[in-house]
Amino acid sequence: MIVYIVRRLVVSFFILLGATALVFWLVAISGDPLEDLYADQSPNKEDKIAERTRRMHLDQPIPQRYLTWLAGVAKCVVPGQGCDLGTNQTGQDVKVLLGNAAGATLRLVLVAVVVAIVIGVTVGIVSALRQYSGFDYTITFAAFLFFSLPVFWVAVLLKQYLAIEFNDWLADPRIGPVPMIALGLLSGLTWSAVIGGERRRRLTVFGVACAVTVLLLLYLLAVDWFTYPALGPGLVTVFALGTAVGVTELVSGLHRRGVLHASLAAAGVGIIAQFVLAGVLEDPSWPVVLLLAASTVPIGIGLGMVFGQLDKPQAARAAVLTGLLTGTLVFTDRALSAVHGYSQRVNGRIVATIGSDTPNFTGDFWQRFIDTVTHLALPTLAIMLISFATYARFTRATMLEVMSQDYVRTARAKGLTERTVVMRHAFRNALIPVTTLMAIDFGGVIGGAVITENVFGWEGMGTLFINGLERSDPNPVMGFFVLTATSIVIFNMLADIAYAYLDPRIRMS
Amino acid sequence: MSTVLAVAAASAVVLTGCTSGSDKDEEGAKPSASTQPITITYAYEQEFQAYNPNTADQNASLNAVPLQQVLRGFWYYGPDGSVQPDTEFGTYEKVSDNPLTVKYTFNQKAVWSDGEPIDCDDAVLGWAANNGKYKTGKKDSEGNDIAVFSSAGTVGYEDADKPQCADGEKTFTLVYTKPFADWVALFGGGSMMPAHIVEKESGVPDIIAAVDGDDQAALKKAGEFYNTAWVYKKGELKPEISPSSGTYQLSAWQAGQSLTLKANPKWWGTPPNAETIVIRFIKQDQQAQALQNGEIQAMDPQPNAELLKQLEGIGDSIKVTTGDQFTYEHLDFNLRNNSPFKDRDLREAFTKCLPRQQIVDNLIKPQNPKAQIQNSRYVFTFQSNYKKVADAIVGTKHDALDVEGAKSILESKGKAGMTVRIAYQTPNPRRTSQVDLIRDSCGQAGFKIVDAGSESFFADGLFNGKFDIAMFAWAGSPLVTGSSSTYTTNGGNNFGKYTSPTVDDLISKLNAELNKDKQEELIIQVEKALWEDLATIPVYAFPGILATVSNGENFVYNASQAGLMWNSNKWGLAAK
Repeated sequence: MIVYIVRRLVVSFFILLGATALVFWLVAISGDPLEDLYADQSPNKEDKIAERTRRMHLDQPIPQRYLTWLAGVAKCVVPGQGCDLGTNQTGQDVKVLLGNAAGATLRLVLVAVVVAIVIGVTVGIVSALRQYSGFDYTITFAAFLFFSLPVFWVAVLLKQYLAIEFNDWLADPRIGPVPMIALGLLSGLTWSAVIGGERRRRLTVFGVACAVTVLLLLYLLAVDWFTYPALGPGLVTVFALGTAVGVTELVSGLHRRGVLHASLAAAGVGIIAQFVLAGVLEDPSWPVVLLLAASTVPIGIGLGMVFGQLDKPQAARAAVLTGLLTGTLVFTDRALSAVHGYSQRVNGRIVATIGSDTPNFTGDFWQRFIDTVTHLALPTLAIMLISFATYARFTRATMLEVMSQDYVRTARAKGLTERTVVMRHAFRNALIPVTTLMAIDFGGVIGGAVITENVFGWEGMGTLFINGLERSDPNPVMGFFVLTATSIVIFNMLADIAYAYLDPRIRMS
Repeated sequence: MSTVLAVAAASAVVLTGCTSGSDKDEEGAKPSASTQPITITYAYEQEFQAYNPNTADQNASLNAVPLQQVLRGFWYYGPDGSVQPDTEFGTYEKVSDNPLTVKYTFNQKAVWSDGEPIDCDDAVLGWAANNGKYKTGKKDSEGNDIAVFSSAGTVGYEDADKPQCADGEKTFTLVYTKPFADWVALFGGGSMMPAHIVEKESGVPDIIAAVDGDDQAALKKAGEFYNTAWVYKKGELKPEISPSSGTYQLSAWQAGQSLTLKANPKWWGTPPNAETIVIRFIKQDQQAQALQNGEIQAMDPQPNAELLKQLEGIGDSIKVTTGDQFTYEHLDFNLRNNSPFKDRDLREAFTKCLPRQQIVDNLIKPQNPKAQIQNSRYVFTFQSNYKKVADAIVGTKHDALDVEGAKSILESKGKAGMTVRIAYQTPNPRRTSQVDLIRDSCGQAGFKIVDAGSESFFADGLFNGKFDIAMFAWAGSPLVTGSSSTYTTNGGNNFGKYTSPTVDDLISKLNAELNKDKQEELIIQVEKALWEDLATIPVYAFPGILATVSNGENFVYNASQAGLMWNSNKWGLAAK
């Protein structure tokens, strides 16, 4: 394995080296970096041209400029030499620019990719299990639609409807009878398609979901929920207990009483904790929140040991999962409660169309969190829609393939429950190829969010690249290239290693 | 397997219980004397870079625009691009014509925001840094001497002696070694940097002494600081070395996102209206939706017909104003010996068929309904003296299209079917459309118009005369000397190689004329000669646009490169 990794690294290094030379040369010949100065009418035009010529070494041939740049970059590899990625046309340090840009892009892309993976994989699996159902067709249609949508266009639509019009609506939240019924029907159709089953059951689900949705909307409007959103301790309790049941069902099935009790206990601990920790939760910080999340693990394991009976490991897993989800519920409740205060601070324009946050926004932890979320929402959605489509289609395909394998039939023949067959035998194996996709996708998205960044005013890697290219300024482009290319190479390698680790057949050969 | 999903679904759908939670916001509005505790956000595409907007590198709108109210001076650009004295900052007057002597007086109360008085040493630094006389002794790759202080323009300063004043004095006198027509345009906003900061940080104890004693080593140290220390790392303001001499001071800078200005507590004049101004760096095509969503209150991007439609579609929550920019489009004939347009008759024929009105109607009016043909190269249509100048010059007779006249000239010259290469920088859709319109019109007259747009127009074609007609724009200038190099024989910006002893003579008189009325008279004569010779044809001023929230107050469109920020100290928001 180590030999393999080293070999990969060496090969990758030379590929990168060759690629940098090529990219540098392409950028350098892509235009005239002095172009904007030619039309300059100021008396000191010559000085400006001279200054830029000196800074960009335009008096040297391109290969010499490349070597100068390479010598600077080489210092990054040798410790203690001080990294030197050069400066851009106006003398700003590319290292600083790159740091800022990478930070912004990571914040933007990380959430989008994670959410796209979770939703995409879930939908892909359901879609595969309900093959050729209405749900499956709808998802297939949606996936292809999202694939083919140009991001800049989606972005404009998102801004118009989810930001501007939604904010307008929030100023006076009302839902007319026609949209209300439409929403009810949509919900009914979705749930009946997801849950499936024979005709009568589907009709029941449709009716229930439809009615519940309409009633729920009426209730929310009646209590002015959209102006003062929150879950409240009551809903947190109901959701937490529901989560405990759901998690148990997925992990072991409800008949394992030990697992169920551990999960319910975990939910209970979470519910009680929201009251006990009320003081801490008033205005926490990220370390505190992460610490609370981390403490769920030992508590969950402990509960699993106490209640688990014969299924201690499963019970522990279910308890930890329930604990984390309950924590998320409590967190969501707190965050939602802060929305109204936040809304007042931003004149009721909650969802933002541009930028990474409201300039100079100060508030407590929850308001700052809402500020970040409302600024992340639209760009995340734009990136997600496209990534989601990839994951949903890919997962569906692998899941279908796995479900037709002999060992799945064998598992069914053994008399295992469908839950065990899907969760334990099929799902895990279907995830192996998806792992590869994740790694490659993540590397790609870092450099590939160019348009999204541009449209949503995030000054990330894409902006660095575009600005550099527009001015035929190689240094920022090279900074962009080195970082993204390296991350793609590394993520590709990680994908291969992960693949080998997950699938013993690969390791052997 | 169905139960699995059924349970998950049920837990998500079945909702009962109550909701809670409301944070009532407590906002204690405390109106101060006259500065309102409000924030006004302005969208601007390019990101700020440096506190010193004087160096060759950093002399750009991206610095000059945000610094409008941070570094004030003896004058600023008015809404029509003219030089407006800034009487809150100080006063200046001409005390003698021969030698030209100008006396400047700082406001007695003028201080930098760190408390240091604004006085003599700041003026001396401003003069030393912008006169280009101090050389490092090093040469650049083209053999030119590198100046100690990088400067974007030495005009005027280079013809003046050191400001006469002693350390700490609030007045100084500038004596010119030769007459300079634009004496009103020195020591404007942004030109004077804090000398006490340079002294403290560069280790030069006394700038005035260094200039008096011609201490090259000290000036070199000061220059190094002046050129580099105020170029910030992205997102990193250095408040301790960047004091304000205006209504606002730099307060916060979030890389790639925004720059925040706060009211300067040490400002001695009328306090600014809004306490906080935020400049958000937003791409032009994203600004309209941000305005509609209330994230910004004002924007003045480059307009296009689509944008105007989009903004007008938003409705009455915003106000839209269109106007002209201080930049005009023009066509230059190539007058080199090998060019067909060496012949004035052919220039006249082309001018007769040039559809100027149609270009304005089809391409500019959709963006600025008030647009009109511009007939002057010195005075813009929106300036108060335009009518006087335009009426006085003969050029207006070319307003009327005369295709038949063009045709008969061509035929009498035996040049029917002659090829005309119109060159410009691509990509530029508007200019491509202009060439199409010209082709339609001049094609009927017998010209064969070739679209010679190229990506290397500025780099190569324009300098080396690879065109019959060059099409580009000049930025306007409030200075009468600004166009010297464009129309004088062998001038640096005279790309058509136009040469006329009359114009050379008139311009050299203009450059030395101190009387404003006489300057105007000379401008009219230059314009007349340029129209007579048909060297270059002005067409239109670029359209501009301003959109603000409908309750915005005192947002006044400014045609010059100063942009909207010029009066940001007066911006306000009416209560809705």
